[in-house]
Amino acid sequence: MTWLFPFYLLGAAAVIAPILLHLRRRPPQDRVEFSSLLFLDAQTPVPVSKRRLENWLLLLLRCLALILLALMFARPFLRSESAASTSPDRATLILIDRSASMRRDDLWQRALDEAKRTAQSAKITDRVALAVFDQKLTPLWTFEEDRTSPASRSTEFPTRLASHSPSWSATHLDRALIDAVALFDTNTASLKKHILLITDLQEGTHLDALRTIAWPADLRLQVHRLDPANADNLSLALAASDSTTDTPVRPDASAKTQASTIRTRLANTRDSRLRDFTLAWKDGPKSDSITAQLQPGASRILTAPPNSTNATTLTLTGDTQDFDNHLYIAPPQPRTVRIHFLGDNTTRDEAASPLYYLSRALQPTATLAPALSADKKLPAQSPDIIFLSGATTNAETSTALRDFLTQGGFLVHVIASPNDATLIKTLTGLNDLTITDGDTTDDYRMLGEVNTAHPLLKPFADPRLRDFTKLRFWHHRLITFKDDPTKKLETLASFDNGHPAILTARIGKGTLILLASGWHPGDSQFALSTKFVPLLYGWLAAAGFSHDPAASLIVGDALPLEATQSHTITDPDNKTYSLKPGQTFTTELIGLHTITTASRKQTVAVNLPPDEGRVLPLEPQKLADYGIKLAASVDLDSATASADQQRLSATETEQRQRSWWWILLILLAVLLLETWLAGRNRQTALQTA
Amino acid sequence: MSSATTFLDPAALMRIKSLELRAKVVVEGLWKGMHRSPYHGFSVEFSEYRAYVQGDDPRYIDWKVLARSDRTYIKKFEDETNLRCQLVIDHSKSMGYGSQSYTKADYAATLAATLASFLMKQGDAAGLTTFAEGIEEHLPPRNRTGHLRRMITELERPAKATGTSLAVSIGQLADLLRKRGMICLITDLLAPIEHLEKQLALLGAMGHDLVLFHLMDRAEIDFTFEKSAHFRDAESGAERFIDPQLARETYLKRLAAHREQIQQSCDRYNVEYHWCPTDKPLEEVLFTFLSARQRKKASKSSAKLAA
Repeated sequence: MTWLFPFYLLGAAAVIAPILLHLRRRPPQDRVEFSSLLFLDAQTPVPVSKRRLENWLLLLLRCLALILLALMFARPFLRSESAASTSPDRATLILIDRSASMRRDDLWQRALDEAKRTAQSAKITDRVALAVFDQKLTPLWTFEEDRTSPASRSTEFPTRLASHSPSWSATHLDRALIDAVALFDTNTASLKKHILLITDLQEGTHLDALRTIAWPADLRLQVHRLDPANADNLSLALAASDSTTDTPVRPDASAKTQASTIRTRLANTRDSRLRDFTLAWKDGPKSDSITAQLQPGASRILTAPPNSTNATTLTLTGDTQDFDNHLYIAPPQPRTVRIHFLGDNTTRDEAASPLYYLSRALQPTATLAPALSADKKLPAQSPDIIFLSGATTNAETSTALRDFLTQGGFLVHVIASPNDATLIKTLTGLNDLTITDGDTTDDYRMLGEVNTAHPLLKPFADPRLRDFTKLRFWHHRLITFKDDPTKKLETLASFDNGHPAILTARIGKGTLILLASGWHPGDSQFALSTKFVPLLYGWLAAAGFSHDPAASLIVGDALPLEATQSHTITDPDNKTYSLKPGQTFTTELIGLHTITTASRKQTVAVNLPPDEGRVLPLEPQKLADYGIKLAASVDLDSATASADQQRLSATETEQRQRSWWWILLILLAVLLLETWLAGRNRQTALQTA
Repeated sequence: MSSATTFLDPAALMRIKSLELRAKVVVEGLWKGMHRSPYHGFSVEFSEYRAYVQGDDPRYIDWKVLARSDRTYIKKFEDETNLRCQLVIDHSKSMGYGSQSYTKADYAATLAATLASFLMKQGDAAGLTTFAEGIEEHLPPRNRTGHLRRMITELERPAKATGTSLAVSIGQLADLLRKRGMICLITDLLAPIEHLEKQLALLGAMGHDLVLFHLMDRAEIDFTFEKSAHFRDAESGAERFIDPQLARETYLKRLAAHREQIQQSCDRYNVEYHWCPTDKPLEEVLFTFLSARQRKKASKSSAKLAA
């Protein structure tokens, strides 16, 4: 018999009270008025020595009730079942956390020491396996290896662990435990299964997937929590970027202003003694740093300080734990898009010409640097995109354009006159295609149907952006064709009179877009409308030049690689990896990775998973909430934690046995009996009186 | 007294609030009962005709009766036969005790009122004296309209005094009562009686006819207490811890000795003693009293005759 709260047993000492009360014959406090004391002598109250117990049965019941009450509060339970579990051989899987937060203090060294100690204390008949985990489980020593050579366990463990150190990954304890369950093979079926988890069990640990599994009934998890001397920590992470940075129309956008829109999230741990922090670019001037305060438990979104030195690392100072104090920002690397306008370059500054609007619409952004050239002839080096509006083409140009398209080019052709039919026939191969001037009797035309589901009109996929009613067309051309058996020409948009306004065709590898009306004011209001720039950038994206900034990467993410090309990757440690087409690369380090392909070189920043910065330790009991069965006898790092854990397991056992419930029932019965007996005694006394 | 005679239960009687009415109830019952009783014609000093015997003063022969019946009777003077009765009531705090619904004082007042009412009804004069440490109120004997009411008003007044000094009070009374008469002393006599004897002797010597009604509550007589308690003296306020079970024997012994002493004193000084537990019906007390008077008178007259 063991007690959960043995202190309450002291309450049983209260039985002295009823015993004394029963012993005590109260000197009567009654006052009786009497006519005269003439015949009465004073007497002394009954002496103590003459006291004797009265109503001993009542006394017995009352004492019993008090003792039962004390017993009930002490919560007794039998420890037999938990004690029995220690006797047979055990299969222990030592699971060591190697996530980035284990870089703090000497946590890793302590984890190794604990693993070695456990391995040494295991019996030769016990089975011991070793695995490390961060975002995935890495077995280092399996039960099978242990079965074949149990003696070499103590020499192998340090060797195998030496090759591992804390990574930069997040703590995916859920995945690790799910995989760890599978490591218990048939060799361990008859043994007491047991996982020793050595971890800092930080708040940022991922546990959600544990809800998806049913924890094996015979597997116990023992948590050895490593607590650093000081859990105070300031952490730095990248916040969701400001949506204004996506807008391409920032003519004066420089690297400096773009950097100023980097938003960071700073967090301080609860009950932290840290307040002051400094956020600065690495090696940047002191004037560019931000020094402020952050309350314990608070988090704050802060715009990065101006980056005058084009640094790539944002550093937070103010705490002792350095592992989460760096944020890597890839430098802006705009991609050059070579765009050729087939027409007169001199019209670049004429407000009536299409080139005027095109040159102003195509501004450099953080990710794209459009280079617009204009000439009546095709350039020697094949451009990425060609715009054709109003220029007359000869047969030679037509052929060149067709070749351009078939090799994967992107051509936007504004049909300016019926003469363009020849070119289109050449490009598409549709011989019965005719082009006539549209009716001019009406004031204007508007767009009737717009196929916003088409990839080329992706910018308008959002229903809020589909209002085309302000877009008016003064002049347009009618494109008619009868025979299109292969459905080569696809109508993207049509005017309200039913005639096509925008057509597209896949020609070879390339894409042809035909516009029945130009964007310049002579034809329409298109260039002046809000739809023009999104449409242009949508086409650029379709041509492979998306201006969307690359998503911020964290350790464990795969680098964005093109499946068709081979890459060379240089990681922050300057190690180089050559990847064949189709291969992927999972990041393991924080810092800037360089991806080099045949055509381009790209720098990608990989950062620490933000959850790793949440380092406050969790209670091991939290794991029990996910259905994990915690081991009854758990030794923790500190003595108090160990006592807590023992109390925890004792509580569990006690709750299972619920002996207090039976004591309560007996207590109630005793009290009822006592009430009945006391009532009967009193009645008898009254009757005799 | 026949055994069939039913007396009023004192408790029931005491429930009547008005003392006057209470006295009336007792007297009326007694009056009626007397007509049926073999002691018809008894009274304290009932004026009567008596057969002439040799030696009687011939002045007192009722000549009218002689003329009518040819028999010689002696008629006593009315003035001579009239009784002056002084009711002396103990008004001390100890009289305020009562284990039943009424106290000894209530009983005493009713007894006094009954006696007064009875006496005045037959033409005798009654007076009232209340005392505690000394004489408190004194109404000389009268037989006037309204005198009974005055007496009753006086009787209804609650007891205030704490101590009792029977000796002092009786000494004072002796000064007040010049004319001879009957003195009815109604008291619980819960005081040492050493000095009492002397005063009784004085009153006796003055020619007063003394009657003592000794009132006691049933609880005082039997000491029927069960629980130990602090007993408080009603008069002195002193408290003593008493276990009744242990004290009862001594108490009863002492009480018996006390009564014995009183009895002896009464016998010695020719005081008529009436033992009146407060649960005794008043009619019975009255009846015993009247019977005793009658016997006394009879013995007196026989003594006279013998002389």
